[in-house]
Amino acid sequence: MNSGAAPAAARGGLRPRARKWRNAALPAAFLLPAVAFVAVVSIYPIFDAVSLSVHATSYAQVGAFIGLRNYVALAFDPGIWRDGRNSLIYTAFSLALVLPYSMGLAILLNRPIPGRGLFRTLIIMPWVTSQTITALVWGWLLNGDYGALTYLLQLLAGHRIAVLASPAGAMATLIGINVWASYPLATLLFLAALQTVPKELYEAASVDGASRWGSFAHVTAPMIRPTALVVIIQLTLLYLNMVTLIYVLTGGGPLNGTETLAVTVLKMSFQNWEIGKGAALGMVLTAINVLFSLVYMRALRGGEP
Amino acid sequence: MRRRSAAKFASVAVLLAASLLAVGPALWCLSTALKPAGQLLAYPPNWLPHPPTLESIRQVLEQSALPIYFRNSLIVTGLSLLISLAIGTHAAYAIARHRFPGRSALLVALLATSMIPGIAILVPLYHLSVMSGLYNSFTGQVIVYSAWNVPILIWLLKGFFESVPRDIEEAAWIDGCSRLRAFYTITLRMARPGILSGAIMVIVFVWNDFLITFTLTISDSRRLLSVGLYTYISNYGIQWGQLMAATLIALAPVVVAFFLLQRHLVEGLMAGAVKG
Repeated sequence: MNSGAAPAAARGGLRPRARKWRNAALPAAFLLPAVAFVAVVSIYPIFDAVSLSVHATSYAQVGAFIGLRNYVALAFDPGIWRDGRNSLIYTAFSLALVLPYSMGLAILLNRPIPGRGLFRTLIIMPWVTSQTITALVWGWLLNGDYGALTYLLQLLAGHRIAVLASPAGAMATLIGINVWASYPLATLLFLAALQTVPKELYEAASVDGASRWGSFAHVTAPMIRPTALVVIIQLTLLYLNMVTLIYVLTGGGPLNGTETLAVTVLKMSFQNWEIGKGAALGMVLTAINVLFSLVYMRALRGGEP
Repeated sequence: MRRRSAAKFASVAVLLAASLLAVGPALWCLSTALKPAGQLLAYPPNWLPHPPTLESIRQVLEQSALPIYFRNSLIVTGLSLLISLAIGTHAAYAIARHRFPGRSALLVALLATSMIPGIAILVPLYHLSVMSGLYNSFTGQVIVYSAWNVPILIWLLKGFFESVPRDIEEAAWIDGCSRLRAFYTITLRMARPGILSGAIMVIVFVWNDFLITFTLTISDSRRLLSVGLYTYISNYGIQWGQLMAATLIALAPVVVAFFLLQRHLVEGLMAGAVKG
């Protein structure tokens, strides 16, 4: 399978066993560094985290085995349920806004429009902006005393609003900023998918008298469905696990109104130094990740024609 | 006919608005960075700096630790890019070209590691770095960044290697080229668009990351830009002019890299989408 007859013959002299060894040695040598890196930096730590989550800890010291006590403590902590609710709100609303926005932009960018390349470049720009920078710049735009957007909002509303000052306002604002930060990659993926839809399908649809909406529903939508599911999986995981944007912009406040599970893992582990409990919550978060991925993947597989 | 041009006009108008929304914050950052001290806290705000001045940028470059963070980010991003690409291309090639037992299990395992939220394994990585003596070092950060990018690179590049016709490689073997030489001189070159689109993804990831460098470093001499910007606030108090100047300097290289490589990114994603 690896080598056709011709190259094997060209190499001549090698006996079959030597050839077999050589054929196995190359891929093994090529794969080994990747496997080693991933094993040390991703696989080992997850086992270590599982182990931490079932031990008592004090600062960085790991103490006695305590079974599931960390998990039980989390389950009885109302703050954790509030954080979970915040995570779901953050994820669901961000998704609900990003999907139509990115798909709409992709459809527009797929039309023959003057300056299309420039529009595409500009529209993807937020992708290169780090979550830290996003948080700092939007924080400045929305600064309650001097912010440029605060001023524009004041013109619209008639009075000055500090959007980040209330828990609900901060959550809504954060979702808006997250939409700004995360739509570009989704737009690119949708655009890539749209460009693979054969033009003939649209022509056939318009011959059949389909309206613009009809051709979207019957031609575009089925063709980009797999991409949409991939985008939904990636964004869901991104939002559930997002820490930096929230941590830098609001720190989880005000009044824990924007504190998600992921932010709490960071705070438990590196601010309160409850690393056992933090690890347990990290495991819960991982389980939620896996659960969502499996559900979506099932949908993806089920949708295959 | 008229309806069509109206639709086209509407499309352009929406795209213009979306573009403005996309770059508006960066423009405001630029405007703030160039403002003289007296205008920074004007309310209502002055939209343009009058007159523009490089004073804030000069202060950041001469009086803050930002140049050090910048150097650190360049070093760590550069090394992580080289190492993750070296590891990723070889592994992707092996998986694309060879059928061996456990191949699909390996692919699934690699994909599964991207389901592990980074935040869940930060403490173990912190322990690991302390135990191995790599806490607060470039090496420790480079290893973690490289390893985290390898699975994505493998998935991306596998498709590109599969699209390189096998005949071309086999022809090279017949011409007496060794397998290794054929890989380095022919196959890698043909997978160039994939490698470049992988490169921009790694650059953006490492340059922009906050959590790893936040966890694995403690001193200015090893910390990267994101944490540098974050601590800027606490170290110097909020000086909006300087903070936006620092932000602008941190943003510039990745914007340049993006402009240079973005065409390949789109190509790379398209190639992936075609394969589905």
